[in-house]
Amino acid sequence: MRSLSRSRLLWGAILLCAAVAALLPWWLSAYILGILTVAYYFGVFAMAWDLLFGFAGEVNFGPTFLIGLGAYGAAILDANFGQPIFVCVIAGALVALVGGLLLALPALRLRGPYFGLVTLVAVLLLQNFIVIFAHITGGEIGMTVPDVLSADANANYWYALAFLFVCTIILFGLSRSAVGLILQASGQDAIAAQALGFNVTKHKVAAFCVSAVFSGMAGAMLVFYEGAASVDTVINLSIAVQVIIAAVLGGRRTIIGAVLGSIFLILANEFLRPLGQLNTFVVAAVALAVILFFPDGFLGYALRGRQRE
Amino acid sequence: MTSPARIEVRGLTKRFGGLVAVNDIGFDIAAGEIMGLIGPNGSGKSTVMKLIMGIERPNAGTVMFDGVDVAGWPPHRIARAGIGIVFQHSRPLHRQTVLENIKLALLPDSLLRLVSAPDVETRAIAIAERVGLGDVLHRHPGTLPFASLRRMEMAKAIARDPKLVLIDEPFAGLTAGEVAAFSQLIRGFRAENRAVLLVDHNVKGVAALVDRVFAMYLGERVTEGTADEVMHNETVRRVYMGGDLAAIERRPAPASEKPTLLQLDGVGVLYGKARALDGIELKVREGEFVSIVGLNGAGKTTLFNTISGFLPYSGEIIRGGEKLRGTSPAKIARSGLVQCPESRELFGEMSVRENLDLGGQHLTDEAREKQLAWLFELFPILRERQGQMAQTLSGGEQQMLAIGRALMMQPKILILDEPTLGLAPVILELLSKALEKLRQTTPITVLLGEQNVTFALPHADRVYVLEHARIVWEGDPGRFAAEAGAGYL
Amino acid sequence: MLGLQIIVDGFAISSLYALGAVGFTLIFGVSGVLNLAHGGIMVVAALVGWYCAGELGFGTYLGTLAGVAAGLALALATYGIVVRPIQRSRAIPSAETEIFVLTGTLLWGIMIEQGMAYLFSDNPVTIRPLIGGVMNVFGVRTPRNEVMIAALCWIVIGLLWLLVNRTRAGKVLLAASINPRGLTLLGFELSRVYVLVWSIYGVLAGIAGVLLASFLGVGSANTGPLTASAFSIVVLGGLGSVSGTLIAAYVVGYLETLTAYLIAPTLRPIPALILLVLAIYIRPQGILGRR
Repeated sequence: MRSLSRSRLLWGAILLCAAVAALLPWWLSAYILGILTVAYYFGVFAMAWDLLFGFAGEVNFGPTFLIGLGAYGAAILDANFGQPIFVCVIAGALVALVGGLLLALPALRLRGPYFGLVTLVAVLLLQNFIVIFAHITGGEIGMTVPDVLSADANANYWYALAFLFVCTIILFGLSRSAVGLILQASGQDAIAAQALGFNVTKHKVAAFCVSAVFSGMAGAMLVFYEGAASVDTVINLSIAVQVIIAAVLGGRRTIIGAVLGSIFLILANEFLRPLGQLNTFVVAAVALAVILFFPDGFLGYALRGRQRE
Repeated sequence: MTSPARIEVRGLTKRFGGLVAVNDIGFDIAAGEIMGLIGPNGSGKSTVMKLIMGIERPNAGTVMFDGVDVAGWPPHRIARAGIGIVFQHSRPLHRQTVLENIKLALLPDSLLRLVSAPDVETRAIAIAERVGLGDVLHRHPGTLPFASLRRMEMAKAIARDPKLVLIDEPFAGLTAGEVAAFSQLIRGFRAENRAVLLVDHNVKGVAALVDRVFAMYLGERVTEGTADEVMHNETVRRVYMGGDLAAIERRPAPASEKPTLLQLDGVGVLYGKARALDGIELKVREGEFVSIVGLNGAGKTTLFNTISGFLPYSGEIIRGGEKLRGTSPAKIARSGLVQCPESRELFGEMSVRENLDLGGQHLTDEAREKQLAWLFELFPILRERQGQMAQTLSGGEQQMLAIGRALMMQPKILILDEPTLGLAPVILELLSKALEKLRQTTPITVLLGEQNVTFALPHADRVYVLEHARIVWEGDPGRFAAEAGAGYL
Repeated sequence: MLGLQIIVDGFAISSLYALGAVGFTLIFGVSGVLNLAHGGIMVVAALVGWYCAGELGFGTYLGTLAGVAAGLALALATYGIVVRPIQRSRAIPSAETEIFVLTGTLLWGIMIEQGMAYLFSDNPVTIRPLIGGVMNVFGVRTPRNEVMIAALCWIVIGLLWLLVNRTRAGKVLLAASINPRGLTLLGFELSRVYVLVWSIYGVLAGIAGVLLASFLGVGSANTGPLTASAFSIVVLGGLGSVSGTLIAAYVVGYLETLTAYLIAPTLRPIPALILLVLAIYIRPQGILGRR
């Protein structure tokens, strides 16, 4: 049965990559490991976005709204109430979930560009609120947190890898499950899905919640890696766009493609760092080129061949 | 047959703004019965189907399904209650295999189900085999032919064992052989004691299959009965064909053979996988009025849109010795091949005068004034309504405006697509007279597409009959009644 | 008096917003595109205008013209390089085209912002006012320049109205926003219509950008907030409705001015954003929206 063998192939590939990745600290410098660590958290951002877009068919222009809520939620809890890290991470996830629901529940009723616009405005609003309440959030400069996951580059790397691995298993598994099939149908053709007996709204809200929880958790984890939270690292619109580009670059609707795209993007960013200020310009230009010439992304092109014959 | 009614519709009404799409419709369908819901474009039949399925919510009326009123329920609840639907256009999930598409239909509406129940796969395979898809289970929809996609839609609709199956245009795009196979499938549904509602443009296509027919026009019930009764019903014939064929005046044949202005050679058009036009051969000579008659869904609009350059096609369209392939639609219009489409495409929020002026944009001011004056002679009501916003005009006035706007372009070939659709008889008189005047006073060539044969025939020098994407008859109007008229409906 | 000061200042900034937003709504109405690089076009016009006027020594008048020309060029580039290729791309399914256009213009806007920051640094620049001195408006000492700007905005808006409602080209634009297919059937090439509307848009945004530079000063960092204000206004007013946009521009402009004066200048953009979110939930079609 072809679909099953393709499935086994993908799962096998994931395990293999995870195994190889786990061994990297013995070959790579702490600096590069640090970049990969960020890339892995970014991978979860992008996967969470792809679940919502690729599967529920909703474009979230402000994924950093959820990420930022998770990040700052965890940071504020840690800095002001001294809770252990994992409690803060869970709290961050919950804050993202609640914030996301408040935003999404009414917004999912909207059609056309309005949902996207609302998510975009949400990011701007959050950014402004962070700045207003600077005494709690540290404003534009950002805030530091007293706890970090670890001081050791290798340990941080493994934490990130483990987190990415678990999230990938869950999200990818979800995408290939029965629920994932229903989500795909809802995203592709809501009326046809309803005619088959599925409450599309319920499923889209659920997808949004899952996306929110994972985005929030990853945002919180990133804070405890970097030891700080700031607008420029977790909320800024250019970060939001990079999340979207990472998922598109890897291949929409593939989930694991988002991880590939993130690693590529973060590494590219690093590679372009010597350009200084033009760094963002080049990344944006490349992203635009991807959209124009390569919209199916890496995995998209690779997988498309199989469906056509 | 005194089976209890599976579904009882009463007083079903739906308004879209000021337009009443469905007005007080009621009917019963019993278990093990196949009913045909028939009507031309704009009759409301598709809306009735959507109302039953919950895709639209009715303004009034009840839909009693097995004793429960489901009117106004959301579609997923209605689907779970036991109604399945086969849409006119196939809607497969392209990234999933056939088997997965069918399995989807068998899944419960649960957020927590990660793995489907073990019997889902076996059931899905059984259903696939039932509709004849047993050997393409693991292929993707993109690789399948059109008929197989339609079978998959059927499979999805009956997967959960519905008590009522709604099928929209069951045979659109199918070959004769495929039609027979699908009819067998649908008869199988009846044998399983399901109620079936077939929605279609014309009785002829489904006559062999249905037990009863319910005919609609402009949102209202026209008549119901057996297929035969409905086909011979006077009102139905008048509404579909415009009246009694025998009472048509014959035109005198044109004196000389004028040059061919437009020629279609083996033109074919595909909508995705569905064949919309097949091997069309057509000739229009200078100064002729050619009528293309055919029921809604036969392919007239596709034909005209292809000639106007909107659709890709195989074969050739030749105008004045040159192939039209590759010319943009705007350029074709500027060159004198102008279409007045079925949907009219007016600029609703602009005035009548502004609409007409836009039509005459390419003329000099002087020429435009003259053309406008001539047009107002042809359609005096347009002069009266000059300053009014186009969307506030009545249906007939809008049609006149649409034709007038096309005439402002001083077309050499004018294509009219169903100008009489939805208009009252008195307006048809006006249009008919205007066409006659055009005929007599200008050298214009006209291609008229109509379902209303009584309207089209008096003006035609030649007639083509289009049925299911093919030209099935060609000749002069005098012979039409004798040769093609009987089987038309 | 503070109240009158607010009214006068608010009027000027609202007029500027109105000019920019009208262009934005025109593009949406005719071309169907929400151009998220809008702020970028205004900023480029302002910076080029400043550069030509000051650094290159062209003087204020020529510099201003150069700025507007830059706006026009950039708008056409936006259409030709970003919007049109995405709309025509066969690799993108038609249901997703809108999203890709939004993302594409967003990226283009970021490129413009970063590019400008690189070339000109992100410090705001001002163009020397065309008219110096102050005058008395309802008892408030107002720079003459400010009054002239408000007047200019309205003159341009008036010219635009004349163009759309009284000229042939304008009627074609109006028709394109109502029914593009109808226009094709009448022999008009839509591609030419789009070039026309993007050109008009470029001029409008260019003028708005240059005037803003001479009024408040403009830097590359304004790119995002300017786009945000424009689409807040356009959505509030009703996507595609010019009169709605004008009304909403004044609502947003005054809200911002009130906030800046009465609460804090840093909180300027917030009430408009909140209003926008509320509007999208309660009345998504805006004040006078058509679609």
